[in-house]
Amino acid sequence: MNNKRRVLSALALVLTISLSQPLLGQKSSASDSIKIPFETYKLPNGLTVILSVDRTTPTVAVNVWYHVGSKNELPGRTGFAHLFEHVMFTGSGHVPYGLHDKLTEGVGGGNNGSTTNDRTNYFETIPSNYLESALWLESDRMGYLLDTLDIAKLNAQRDVVKNERRQSYDNQPYGRVSEIFSAAMYPKTHPYSWPVIGSMTDLSAASEEDVKAFFRLYYAPNNATLAVVGDFDPAQAKAWIQKYFSDLPKGQPVERPNVALGKLESSKRLVYEDRVQVPRLYIQWPTVGFKHDDDYALSVMSSILSGSRTARLTKALVYDSQAASQVFAFQNSAEDVGVFQVTVIPRPEHSLTELEAAVDQVLQKFISEGPTAEELQKAKSGLELNFLRGLESNLGKANQLIDGAVFYGNPGQFRTDYQKTLAVTAADVKRVANQYLTRSRIVLSVVPKGKKDQASKAAESEAVSVLIRGGRS
Amino acid sequence: MKQQKKVLALALVISLANLAALAQQQPLDRTKVPPPGPSPVLHVPTWTKTQLSNGAILIVSERHGLPLVSFTITFLGGANQFEPAAKRGVAAMTASMLTEGTTTKTGDQISDALQLLGTNVNTGIGGEEGSIGFVSTAKNFEPTLAILADMMLNSTFPAEALERLRGRTLVNLTQAKDQPTVVGAQVFAKILYGNAHPYGQRVTETSVKGITRDDVVAFQKAYFQPGRAIITVVGDVTPASVKTSVEKGLAAWTKAGDKPSFDYPKLPELQPAKIYLVDKPGAAQSVVNIGLPGPPRNTPDYFALQVLNTILGGQFQSRLNANIREQKGYSYGVNSNFNYGKGPGAFRAGGSIFSAKTDAALVEFMKELKGIVGEKPITDEEVKTAKESLIQGLPQRFASVSAISNAITSLYVQGLPEDYYQTYAKNVSAVTKEDLARVAKQYIDLNHLAIVIVGDRATVEAALKATGIAPITYIDLEGNPVGN
Repeated sequence: MNNKRRVLSALALVLTISLSQPLLGQKSSASDSIKIPFETYKLPNGLTVILSVDRTTPTVAVNVWYHVGSKNELPGRTGFAHLFEHVMFTGSGHVPYGLHDKLTEGVGGGNNGSTTNDRTNYFETIPSNYLESALWLESDRMGYLLDTLDIAKLNAQRDVVKNERRQSYDNQPYGRVSEIFSAAMYPKTHPYSWPVIGSMTDLSAASEEDVKAFFRLYYAPNNATLAVVGDFDPAQAKAWIQKYFSDLPKGQPVERPNVALGKLESSKRLVYEDRVQVPRLYIQWPTVGFKHDDDYALSVMSSILSGSRTARLTKALVYDSQAASQVFAFQNSAEDVGVFQVTVIPRPEHSLTELEAAVDQVLQKFISEGPTAEELQKAKSGLELNFLRGLESNLGKANQLIDGAVFYGNPGQFRTDYQKTLAVTAADVKRVANQYLTRSRIVLSVVPKGKKDQASKAAESEAVSVLIRGGRS
Repeated sequence: MKQQKKVLALALVISLANLAALAQQQPLDRTKVPPPGPSPVLHVPTWTKTQLSNGAILIVSERHGLPLVSFTITFLGGANQFEPAAKRGVAAMTASMLTEGTTTKTGDQISDALQLLGTNVNTGIGGEEGSIGFVSTAKNFEPTLAILADMMLNSTFPAEALERLRGRTLVNLTQAKDQPTVVGAQVFAKILYGNAHPYGQRVTETSVKGITRDDVVAFQKAYFQPGRAIITVVGDVTPASVKTSVEKGLAAWTKAGDKPSFDYPKLPELQPAKIYLVDKPGAAQSVVNIGLPGPPRNTPDYFALQVLNTILGGQFQSRLNANIREQKGYSYGVNSNFNYGKGPGAFRAGGSIFSAKTDAALVEFMKELKGIVGEKPITDEEVKTAKESLIQGLPQRFASVSAISNAITSLYVQGLPEDYYQTYAKNVSAVTKEDLARVAKQYIDLNHLAIVIVGDRATVEAALKATGIAPITYIDLEGNPVGN
């Protein structure tokens, strides 16, 4: 349990339905079940509020999203959004250190936060009689965090973040792949070019004032959305929200960075030596972010290429030739950018060069013929079940609603996502395959130490140095 | 500083407003912690329990909010009871082989059919229990059940599929050697239980290479039997309709099999406390596991141990994490747990530690273990928080159809009373500080702790020696001694 706390999502695998999961056939009954009752309003200070009652279990989820992620940071000052995810649990103006945990896990609930390139979230799950104190806790750190933030607190959490980095990246086989790709896919000043956890050098160099300025700009009510989901009385909840949040001052308007999509002038081949015994092949193409309509077809395409034993890449590489132990294909999209990635774990005696050619052969065929009607149907068939299972958790529901509110200004966006995914046609999938999988791309081979010759087309591959953007403490 | 600011703000309000207005708009006193409302009433799900003619127990619990059904067949006994020591891995292999084709369907056809139903049938066999099941929409419950029954009863276990799965398993085993946390857990088990005890055994390259198709067929025949099965169905169903569906869907599943016994060999003799160091050159962190064999789930000390562990290492603000992560900054998170089962599951404390702080963290681990055993007596406040946390966390166990299924099934798997959840609060509340002091001493035996560290020997060795906590023994990734 502890280890899961304050988890960092390395890349935005945001919870819109369209992104990760396949979907369904029987349209009429499906759309009947695709609903989450909610109401939403805004306080005069700009705080967006979403309420959704579900009395199934006597618990409530309180979830606050700030529309700030690592992409709002500046080169040389990276890692702040994620650092705040830690600092936000260390007490605020009227909340002494430890009380937050005591009023959540200490009463049978839980709390956590997560950071992506695009947003940071903070949440509590509590027995329903502790709703008022949870709202008090969230309002206090929104309004009064800086009152008690000093250099000692900052340093303590910097140490924890460095340990998180060691655990999640450095001591993790293949743990550096995502940051190698980010650095290779985007120019140095591009807001998606650095890892969400940031550079440890930047974190060490950050002054108290740097960090506080970042908070003042991005953690104000006008940049936040609060959702309360579960077993509560809406009138009472509104009164408490008014009581605790309405006097927090509105902050400066937040400027959204204008972010260019990833685009490679030419393909790159990289090789990285890691403390591993089994090499792996990774291929990434720049695509689009989740607000772009092509994201729906790209997600459907990922389920046609991998995930089940009859998916194209899986069938060809894992079952027919058996050159691979496993293969994964997925569209990984954030607010402004996205990539399509294929990962291959080889069987012994099969080289990464051979596997890259095998992947290309499958993709070329797919690009030219597109999916069959049955493939399309299979890719969509799991959507309804997946959506319904998401409704079983107050927190899952809260995330769906807030995701829509933050990124689309519409908590009901989940329904649009659902319908647009259902509406994806074979022609759509064929078009995105042609449009994106024929682009310049990055091929990354991760190989055992001293075995660069195991890379795919080793002679043409460029070694990635261990130190990426000061990424080591 | 904060309080001065408050006083100032209040003074300003008073000077500007008349008293009547002040009475109407009382400024919010944020220093007051809002008190909780009255505790919500605990609603434990109810269920029906019947026995099918083939001997399987059928449990049905209704939950109608969403059109979902969770269906699980749980088998008493697992790899520890049904796998020969030389054939470790045959249970997992058999579970995987159930997807490879039946007398009437190929593996591809099964996969496509399940995908079109939007679901998946999952089979997993652990040390002491196994299961096959799915969650589906209510309308797809019967067709999915039909596929599950076909997989469980009519699989053909093609030889070529076994070779493919063997190849994949061997790659997974190779990759696991690069995962320090996996290595740490495996070596820790081996040190505590040895090779002769199932708890100390694991799947190896050798055991996987030795599995034959006959072994898989024999395992399937011996294991998936109704005489040791509990069928749990939770969701948008009624007991009557489920019984009809299950009797029809599993008609070919005829009476056979008994409940297994859970006799385990004697534990190896406890060793004086020792550090077991596995060298992982260049590791950024040391994976630390400290502990010894503990009590089974049916120990009368269960509730006291739950409260104890909540205080020691079950939560974020437990003693271990509050000290080693939050105060010292040596780790991203440390914890402790009692691993309950039918046999002597381990007590374990540990986490991943920054290499350069391995010695300092070990000193703190030992300090906290000594503390909980008596040097730092447990306070009333700690007891109160731990109990509240356990008691009020109960409703979360009924938050989804699969959670309810687990909550109910585990009572029968572990042989607990059917009113377990109704009496849970009473049992937790009854734990006294004296109980805690006693069980801490009894189960956290400081003189016989195994301290297993997977880390960069060059960085950690000298400092570990200097702590004088325990002598160091050097072992390899398999847990076998190596020279100094």
